Amino acid sequence: MTRTDTAHRRLCHELFDAIERGDIEAVDRCYAPDMTLWFNVTGEEMTREESLKALAAGRDLHRRRTYDDRTISTFDDGFVVQYTVDVVAHSGAHTSLSACLVAEVHDGKISKLFEYLDSGKFAGR
Amino acid sequence: MDQYEIRELCEQFFDAYENRRVDLLDRIYSDDCIIWHNVFGRETTRDENLAALPDSYKGQRRRTYDDRIVNTFHDGFVIQYSLDGVQNTGHRGSLWICIVARCRDGKITRIDEYMDSSKFAAWAGREGTR
Repeated sequence: MTRTDTAHRRLCHELFDAIERGDIEAVDRCYAPDMTLWFNVTGEEMTREESLKALAAGRDLHRRRTYDDRTISTFDDGFVVQYTVDVVAHSGAHTSLSACLVAEVHDGKISKLFEYLDSGKFAGR
Repeated sequence: MDQYEIRELCEQFFDAYENRRVDLLDRIYSDDCIIWHNVFGRETTRDENLAALPDSYKGQRRRTYDDRIVNTFHDGFVIQYSLDGVQNTGHRGSLWICIVARCRDGKITRIDEYMDSSKFAAWAGREGTR
């Protein structure tokens, strides 16, 4: 395992752990200033500020949301993580969604994110 | 496999899909290859996948796998691409897809495919919109 591999893995876990905790400042520390997030459901790109705002707005939508079963593969300038978002709604209902995130990393910060999931699974959430 | 061999295998795989070469896909999949789709949430075997391919091309004049962004890692690759289709009706549609693949000894051993099922109807021209 190379130092780059270890660093990318750590960054990936820091990002997901921060999102899980609702710690927007910690998420921001993972992002480069010009970071962008592209989402396959909308086909649109968000800026870093828009992404952080969306995370803050979504923080209280559920009782608990965890990013589990993280399978991380790293390459020179980024990583891909396959994971399961497990949600406990305020009603107590549990739902689960499989997703994939590709990240470009430069100088230890995430500069681009591409998120792929099936919005057809949102129904009833 | 080094990163160049893995990248070449990735390109061969998508070219074979594009050209409807089920015989080449058969050679690219390992005997124990598994294909998982996020939309269905279940695994299919290589034989189930290959058997389903001819039907999956029906109704389509052309299907290309474009804008391929490939990154390789020690035992596989991740590819982000656009699936551009032209239906027999002339309708054009595009789907954005990501595949994570594991490779061994010149073959693909596992595929995990991520896409958005809410785009399927528009892609096939069943909604009258794009």
